[in-house]
Order: sequence, then C-alpha cells, then structure tokens
Amino acid sequence: MIPGIEALAVPLLVLAVALAVLVADLVVGEAGEAEAEHGPRRGVGALAAVGLLGALVATWWLPVGGEVLGGAFVLDPFALYMQRIMLLAGALGCLGSIDHVDRAFPGRQGEYFLLLLSSLLGMTVLAGARELVLLVVAFELMGIPLYALAALQKRQDAGVEGALKLYLTGAASSVVMLYGLSFLYGVTGTTSLPEIARGLAQGVDGGPLLALGLLLTLAGMGFKVGAVPFHMWVPDTYQGAPTPFVAFLSVGPKAAGFAAMVRLFVEGFGPLRDLWWPLILVLSVASMVLGSLMAIGQDHVKRLLAWSGISHIGLLLLAFGLASDQGLGLLLFYLAAYVPTNMGAFFVAQVVGRDGDDTLPAWQGLARRSPALGGVMLVFLLSLGGIPFAAGFWAKVLLFWAAWQAGMGAIVLLGASLAVLALFFYLRVARAMFIEGQGGQAPPVGLPTAAAILLCLLGVVGLGVWPRPFVDAAIAAAGALLGG
Amino acid sequence: MSLAAGPPLVAWLLLAAALFCVGVYGVLTRKNLVAILLSVELMANAVNLNLVALGRYQGELLGQAVALFGMALTVAEVGVGLAIVILVHRRRQGIDVDELSGLSG
Repeated sequence: MIPGIEALAVPLLVLAVALAVLVADLVVGEAGEAEAEHGPRRGVGALAAVGLLGALVATWWLPVGGEVLGGAFVLDPFALYMQRIMLLAGALGCLGSIDHVDRAFPGRQGEYFLLLLSSLLGMTVLAGARELVLLVVAFELMGIPLYALAALQKRQDAGVEGALKLYLTGAASSVVMLYGLSFLYGVTGTTSLPEIARGLAQGVDGGPLLALGLLLTLAGMGFKVGAVPFHMWVPDTYQGAPTPFVAFLSVGPKAAGFAAMVRLFVEGFGPLRDLWWPLILVLSVASMVLGSLMAIGQDHVKRLLAWSGISHIGLLLLAFGLASDQGLGLLLFYLAAYVPTNMGAFFVAQVVGRDGDDTLPAWQGLARRSPALGGVMLVFLLSLGGIPFAAGFWAKVLLFWAAWQAGMGAIVLLGASLAVLALFFYLRVARAMFIEGQGGQAPPVGLPTAAAILLCLLGVVGLGVWPRPFVDAAIAAAGALLGG
Repeated sequence: MSLAAGPPLVAWLLLAAALFCVGVYGVLTRKNLVAILLSVELMANAVNLNLVALGRYQGELLGQAVALFGMALTVAEVGVGLAIVILVHRRRQGIDVDELSGLSG
C-alpha cells in the first residue's frame, strides 16, 4: 500500500469505472451481438454515467490535503473543486451521449465511453499534478483519447475533417508546450513545481531562457483551451464531431487546461507573475473580442456556441490573470457555472440537429413544437448571456466586480459591452425558436438525454438562485492554494 | 560527466532550436499529411535533444528520463494521428490538406 494513496481517490475511481465499462462491454458484446442496436449495450453508457455520479457524491467523504508520490500529486481544496467540476462534466457527457452513440455507432459504444473515461482520468490527474512530468503525461492522457473520439463518426466527412484539425493543432501544441517545459526544467534544474517556486523566491535568475520557456508553454496551453490566437481548430471540430462529445469537449479539457495553468503559473511560477500576467491579459482580451464578433454571423448553432465559447475562455483567462484568491476562486466558480450551461445548450442542439442540420432554420418554431425544449434552451442561452438569476449571471458579475477592484476598469467596460453584444447572437437563436417558423412535430428526446438536460437545468437554476456556498467554497479553495 | 568533454551547451540548444524551427516550417508549409506528421516528429526530437542537453548541463539523469517519457508519448500520439490520416485517405482518396476545407468561417 502506497502511503497517502487516498489522495489519488478520484482518478482511481474514474479508472475503476473505466475498467468496469471495459468488462461490461466485453460481456454484453458477446451476449448482444445479434441485437446490436438498442440492445444491452446501452447499459454500458448508463454504467459509466452512474459510476461517475457515484464518484462525484463520494468526493464529499474524501480527506483533503493529502499528497502522494513524493508530492507529485496533491489533493488540496483546489484540486478537489476542479475534480468535482470534471466528474460532473464527465457524468453529464456520458449520460447525454447514450442516445446518440446508440444511434450513430451502436456496435462501438464501449469504445466511446472507455475513451471518454480515459480522457477524464487524465483530467482528474491534471487537477492535482505538481510535477512537470506528471503534468505532461496527464495532458497527453487527456488529449489522445479526444482525437480518437472526434474521429468516431468515420463515415462523415465533416467529422473526419474536424478530428484531423483537432489532432494537428493538438499534437503540434503538445510539442510546443513540451519544448517550453524543457527550458523551464533546464533553467531551474527541477521538475517539481513547489521546488521551482522555492528556487525563484530565493532569487534564482532565469534570464531569457526562462522567459522563452514560459512563452512557449503558455502558447501550448493556449491551444489546449482554445484561446485566440490559438483557436483555429475550435469551430471546425465543434461542428464536425458528435454533438454530445462536443458538449464534453467544450468544458472538460478547458477546466483541465486551466487547472494545469494555475498549477504551473501560479503555484510554480507565481514569483514571476509580472512576467506572464500581461500575456494572459492580451490573450484574454483577444479571445473576448474575436469570439464575440465571430459569433454574430454564425448560422450553425454549434459554430455559434464554439465562438461564444472562445469569448467565455477570454473571461476565464481574465479571472486567471487576476491570480488572487478572488480571481482564482471566480475561475473555479465560472467553470462550475459554465459546465451545466454549455453542456445543456449542446444537448438541446443534439436533439434539434439529430438529422445533421443544426442551422437556424432547423430551430425555427422549436418552442411551438416542443415548449419544454424551447424553454430550457432559453434558460441556457440566458445563462450564457449572463441574465440575472441564471448561473452565468453571478459568474460574470462577480468576475467583473473583482477585476474592477483590481484596477482593470478598461477591460471590465470592454467585457461588459461585449456581454451586451453577446445577448444579440444568443437571442437570435431564441427568436428562431419562439417567433419564427411553424408548429409541427416535436423532435424525439430519449430518456437519458432528457435526464442529462434536466440535470443541466437544475445546475443552472441552482447555481443561479443559490450561488453563495459555491462561490465561498471556490474562493476558500483558491485561498488555500495561494496561502499554502 | 562534464560539459568540457563536448561542445558547449549553447551549441546543443541552437541545434535543437534549428531542428524545432525546421519542424515548425514543415508543419506550416507542407501539404501532404504524412509530411506534416514527420515535421511534428522532428519538433518532438528537437525537444528530446533539448532535454538531454539541459539535463547534462544540470549534471543529472532527470533530463534523459523526461526525454524517454516524451518519446513514449509522441509514439502514442503519432499512432492515433496515422489512424486519422488513413481515415482521411479512405474518405477522400488523397491526403492533401488543401482539399480539406469543407468547414470554414
């Protein structure tokens, strides 16, 4: 028994669910070959979703503060908060995928969920990684299954093209990040982030090589989270890949990318904040502006959500750039609010676009055909736009307030005016749903998809009406990270 | 293990940087997907060279260990990449990236 192994509880639970899925797929694969579609294979996805929800509940009984593997992995409050966000994203992603996977590639359900769980395993490790080697390995464990997942719809040209773009940018950015990290190691002489921070605090002078290393690492990570100017893959991949997978892709790796950035830049290179902080702000402003402007003209709702997602990345970068316990706490809360909001919107997009058409005309009259779907989508859109009493409102307002107090008035004004602009393109979808078009038959919604959408709705409304405990916990977690 | 036995550190770093730049150039300009993958490989090998040189400068084996990790990861990554390239080839009967422009905007 490795001492302190309970710190690795969440990754181990995810691994256990992944192995259970693997075995279950083999068992039902033998039994249900003849009735591949709608057969017992559906149960594999349900097993994954229930297992992850169980793991999420179990995190409340975890002892916080342990570390394992010589301090390479730590379960501090920040890691735990991130892991909960990731588990939620994973569980919702599995639940919302069941119907689509059963329809699009019924014989390969086990593959899909196993790949998704492997990626999730990498993310949960990333949340607590304080070692450059572990960080790199976890990044790849997260990234490689995503390439395969994006390509699973192998008979669709758009899916293959999107997967290729995700792969090429992902592989190149991994190498760029690794090149940057090699300089960071070479200059500091260690791969342990706390030791790097200690060395820097004692006045180890990095010189230009350290700055180069930080720049390259930031560029590599910018690709992963999809910040401008490293965003080119985002809209194409979102449009081409299976929609429920995109729901997961649009939140999970983003949370993990920010977890890694916080670990690396705040925990490791915090003493050099003045060096990297302006770069983050540049990326933040560029992402906010370009994301919002490009979203305006989009007729594909998935592309629209992709560009709006890029503008949300800009806001998350702003929270990260504050690098205070307020800022990092709001980064956590923003992610917590963003997960149910964005995933819910993608799940509705999956239901509407199940025949492959996700342009605005396909959305026309949705509220008449299915008032429930139309109403739920409106809530998600309002939360994305930051209208009061949805989760996204508190995330935006608190973030702007914290940035204002930190003396970034200009960026707050820019962000606020872009938020008003954003309402325009979110409400364009609402207009198509509620005002345009004729009635007709409601699109069919499977039970697992309905459950996933309902959970997202609960999350959005719950965080919107009662944000306080979540915000306080997030700021306390960030405070513990900065203080320790 | 002292550096006096070979060229100075900066020579190795420059060699690695040159390799890396060749790789970046290849990724940006090559039209053939396999050539792009080869260019990514070139970048990865530049990183490994960098790690080994910097590890030797630090006088420890950690750099070489990290380089080994890097190689294993690159192999896994390229394996998936080649699978995607084969998929593209089957769909399109060609692997020229310029023909892949169905998605844009």
